[in-house]
Amino acid sequence: MTPEQQARVRDLFEAALDREPAGWDAWLAAQASDAEVRDEVRSLLDHHSRAGAFLADPIVSRMPDLLADRGLEPGAAIGSYTIVRELGRGGMGHVYLASDARLGRTVAVKALAPRLTRDPSHRERLRREARAAAGLTHPGICTVYALEEIGDELYIVTEFVDGHTLRDEIAGGARPSANDVVRTARDLASALASAHASGVTHRDLKPENVMRTTDGRLKILDFGLARIDPLAGPVSAGPAALATLPGVLIGTPAYMAPEQLNGQPADARADVFALGVLIYEYACGVHPFSASTELARIARVLESDARPLEDRCPHLPLAIAEVVGRSLRKSPAERYANAGEMLAALDHGAAAVARRPSLTWWRTHQLVIMAVYVMASDVAWNLKESFVSAVSLWLFIAIGIAAALGGIVRGHLLFTARVNRPRLLQEWRRTARLNLVVDLLMAAAVFGDALLAVPTRALWAMLTMAFGVAIALAALLMEPATTAAALGEDAGSRS
Amino acid sequence: MDRVPPGRSAAPDAHELAPRVYDELRRLAAAYMGRERPGQTLQPTALVHEVFLRLADAGAPWNDERHFVGIAARSMRQILVERARARGAQKRWAALDRVSLSESLVGAALEDAMLPALDEALDRLERLDPEQARIIELRYFAGYGVEEAAEALGMSPATLKRRWSLARAWLFRELSPSPR
Repeated sequence: MTPEQQARVRDLFEAALDREPAGWDAWLAAQASDAEVRDEVRSLLDHHSRAGAFLADPIVSRMPDLLADRGLEPGAAIGSYTIVRELGRGGMGHVYLASDARLGRTVAVKALAPRLTRDPSHRERLRREARAAAGLTHPGICTVYALEEIGDELYIVTEFVDGHTLRDEIAGGARPSANDVVRTARDLASALASAHASGVTHRDLKPENVMRTTDGRLKILDFGLARIDPLAGPVSAGPAALATLPGVLIGTPAYMAPEQLNGQPADARADVFALGVLIYEYACGVHPFSASTELARIARVLESDARPLEDRCPHLPLAIAEVVGRSLRKSPAERYANAGEMLAALDHGAAAVARRPSLTWWRTHQLVIMAVYVMASDVAWNLKESFVSAVSLWLFIAIGIAAALGGIVRGHLLFTARVNRPRLLQEWRRTARLNLVVDLLMAAAVFGDALLAVPTRALWAMLTMAFGVAIALAALLMEPATTAAALGEDAGSRS
Repeated sequence: MDRVPPGRSAAPDAHELAPRVYDELRRLAAAYMGRERPGQTLQPTALVHEVFLRLADAGAPWNDERHFVGIAARSMRQILVERARARGAQKRWAALDRVSLSESLVGAALEDAMLPALDEALDRLERLDPEQARIIELRYFAGYGVEEAAEALGMSPATLKRRWSLARAWLFRELSPSPR
């Protein structure tokens, strides 16, 4: 672009600022004949309208934190801890790998940012929260060892968790198996439940805060500490205020419950919401309220329902999709009251999943019985041809009717199992008696046919009798067993 | 165009202007040291000294207050960007979810990580239009208000505001996930 074009772009851009954005396109088309200039102005205006609070807050106002934020060098001593190396840094401050000289173990030392510890009341609150978090001893929670106050600095010493975050796994692209999803959800709910039982909420649960250790276990980090940032809460004016307060949003509010976004007090049910979002995202790699922009995502969290997990990930057990769905309700009262309840619901679902394979045996049973119907009809036809009599004709007709009835009913059940699994139990109950009557009728008819053949073809008659008895026993003994295995104990009895 | 090109003739010796440099930087320092907690190791004088040394090292003389203000703002930029680089900000910037940036939910931590990238974008902007880069330095790095910055650059506040918007939109595009 030539300097002349640049100057033209600048003049047009600045002139456009005095106009309504809605009229920009038409106005530009009239003003600029040079397509290159026009496209450039349009692109800049587009970015101008999306820039929001970008650069609006002079960085000099944060200079003390930025300049003071030098970090600790390896070898530096913090009390009896020696810094080994920096592990990372975030909104809370720096995290270091350190060795504890007294106990000879490796720990993580979190140096809290000065902005968090400057105010005495915040300091006190940090102490209190660290104390509460130190009381948590679940294997799924990163243990807090100590709170060290050295001079003005505040350090939280925790267990060192080596591994990668759940965010890494989600970003990795490979989708976990249904079993992995169930296990991950269960482990996290169990850890969170133990904290909730002690009255501690996390308040900033997100994939970045969940570590998978090198030996595969999950650990939740930063319990109860994450939202102590004095700048971060309480947010009283909703998302608009969130977007403009400097230093408020470290990362994204993607895991906040609607009530948190609205600035209302958040309790364990906000953790339940966050865990629901997390499991959803872990299971299918997509945020439940994903939208093209961050503000649109906040709007979706507040206003619209997530696409059901079972739609997005049909391979998952329905039970876990239902638990996630309930965790994502807008109203806290409609969610699980705490992670303990969520865990119970997940376990209930897991039990159902464990029973699921036996539906295969039930299905096989149904198919075999339908094949038996065909065989019985064939036997009756042969007999009617060999022993032409009214009895054999009527037996054939009876078996034919029974086979048609039984075949239709069992076909209906198989179809229900395929397309509308939750209704299967109900349909089974509705048709169980008819099935039994049909099968016993067929068994009796086959037996009767066999009796006709006894005088002339004894072996054939004996085999046919056995066939008839087998049909009766299958209906009386085997079917209740396969059905109970597939649909639950109470489905086995036909009442 | 109401640009004031910084003159280079008859530059006074840097040491003659030291008291004025000091006062000007103190003003800057006071703006942020007011928020500082007691016992903080960073003294205002230390910062001032650091900035001053930078100015002397760069061998950049100035011929009036306006010119100096521009240099001081640039020094603030250099200090902050260097600190951010030393902290490994680029690495964190590369790893950041830039969707957050494009929606302007820019937190302090994000902006900190953004500094080196912003610095490079500012260099590119400077090659297109040095004046726009000055405006960003004055307002963003030195914390000047519209009136002050307009005064320092010798333009009307209205013009400065519009040009600030242009520079900001340009930088925002440079730092957005898919530039152009």
